[in-house]
Amino acid sequence: MTTLQSMQGIFKANFDLAPEVLQRDAALEDLEIDSLSMIEVLFAVEDEFKIVVPHEPAAWRGETRTFGDLVDYVDKLIAAQHPAMAGGEVPA
Amino acid sequence: MRRVAVTGIGVISPLGNDPDTFFNELTRGRSGIVGLPAPANAPAGRPTVELPRNHIGGAAAFDGARYFPAPKLRMLDRVSQFALVAAAQAIRDSDLVFDHLGRQRAGVFVGTGMGGAQTIDDGYFTLYAEGSDRVKPYSVLMAMTNAAASWIGIEYGLLGPNLTYSTACSSSAVAIGEAARRIATGDVDVMIAGGSEAPLNYGTLAAWDALKTLAAPDPDDPGASCRPFAKDRTGLVLGEGAAMVVLEDWEHAQARGARVHAELIGYGLCTDATHITRPSVAGQAAAMRRALDAAAIQPDEIGYINAHGTATLANDAVETAAIKDVFGPHAFRVPVSSTKSMHGHLLGAAGALEFVTTVLALERQIIPPTINLHAPDPECDLDYVASGARSGVKLAAVMSNSFAFGGTNAVLICRQG
Repeated sequence: MTTLQSMQGIFKANFDLAPEVLQRDAALEDLEIDSLSMIEVLFAVEDEFKIVVPHEPAAWRGETRTFGDLVDYVDKLIAAQHPAMAGGEVPA
Repeated sequence: MRRVAVTGIGVISPLGNDPDTFFNELTRGRSGIVGLPAPANAPAGRPTVELPRNHIGGAAAFDGARYFPAPKLRMLDRVSQFALVAAAQAIRDSDLVFDHLGRQRAGVFVGTGMGGAQTIDDGYFTLYAEGSDRVKPYSVLMAMTNAAASWIGIEYGLLGPNLTYSTACSSSAVAIGEAARRIATGDVDVMIAGGSEAPLNYGTLAAWDALKTLAAPDPDDPGASCRPFAKDRTGLVLGEGAAMVVLEDWEHAQARGARVHAELIGYGLCTDATHITRPSVAGQAAAMRRALDAAAIQPDEIGYINAHGTATLANDAVETAAIKDVFGPHAFRVPVSSTKSMHGHLLGAAGALEFVTTVLALERQIIPPTINLHAPDPECDLDYVASGARSGVKLAAVMSNSFAFGGTNAVLICRQG
């Protein structure tokens, strides 16, 4: 499963958003995903990808205008924290 | 001063989740107090310390998932879920539709003693029991005492005052009384007012247990544990739920042809300023007198008193003495009942639930009983309606008493609308 697919799964489970609307170019604002929502899914994202999201909310929010930006940011964290896994496969 | 109409009622309670069911169960003399097999909503892995007295309560058969989609539900402590559903019932019952101007002149006053107690308990469990720092991100927003009132305001876009009163067991009587004042003075035309409480979690039950004010569970029948005014009473039983009313300027209600359940004519408020828990005859009597003065009626015009009646040793004798002090010879003629015998003590929601009880009693001309009162306390010698609900009465005005730890006494009086 790709990072995108896994993220779609997390957002479906937490916010009942269908994968069809969770496309790379979808603006988070249009999906009504705000800073509070991002904090709410933080633990789920950390668990799913076995990563630690840095403890600055700005980093979690600032670079993320679209769902694709968010997926890229998670990929960046995976690459930094699990070098062997870089490329999008979720660590087991 | 403007007159205040009660035009909508909503109830979530241990005796049912709408006003009709609630009042019918009260008049049947049914108890909603049950054994709690495990603390309500306990997450898996909850420590299994046995507390001696905490395993009964007035539990509401309420599943938030029936009312809220998952993303919203996760932001709502049980106390806010109760409040939102009860408010929705009350607004539906009132037939009110808030237009732009109406939203500017409408507000929300809610009473709660403990706010999002379940969320706080869950947070401590995560932190101390699980040794994890993953406290739920929404914890602050769910636990804050004003969450319930805020969510109601957001739901209906009400732009007037939004306040939360926390005066322990009189919280929601205060919220209703203060809301009525805002309407009476002309600040607003419509108020959603009431109370909500969800205290049946492990930590809250343990804290109340430690205070030694909880009733000893009846070994055969949990529903027989709360015995207000009885010689063998042993304490209160905690309950959960919410009651909300729509209060409305009388002319505003008439102009739109609203059905009026009752008119709120008196609100008496005073403070004991003596002891943090011990009730005072003088304080309780003063609150009743102030309510009668505000209503401009005589004591003998009151046809029913819904007592605070907690079934603690201290309260029931003091309240009986206070009623005698205020009502004189009429004290022995006016029916007094404690419906806490059936729904338990809803703390911050108690005043609102019992205010609703008096409104429904007035509307239906039926007085709900005090159950479990088989062995009267010689110090409690009034007519407590112990043998079952009383119909065939002529109620013109009714009183609801709410007293509290901390000493804030609040009394509400209604008459037929």
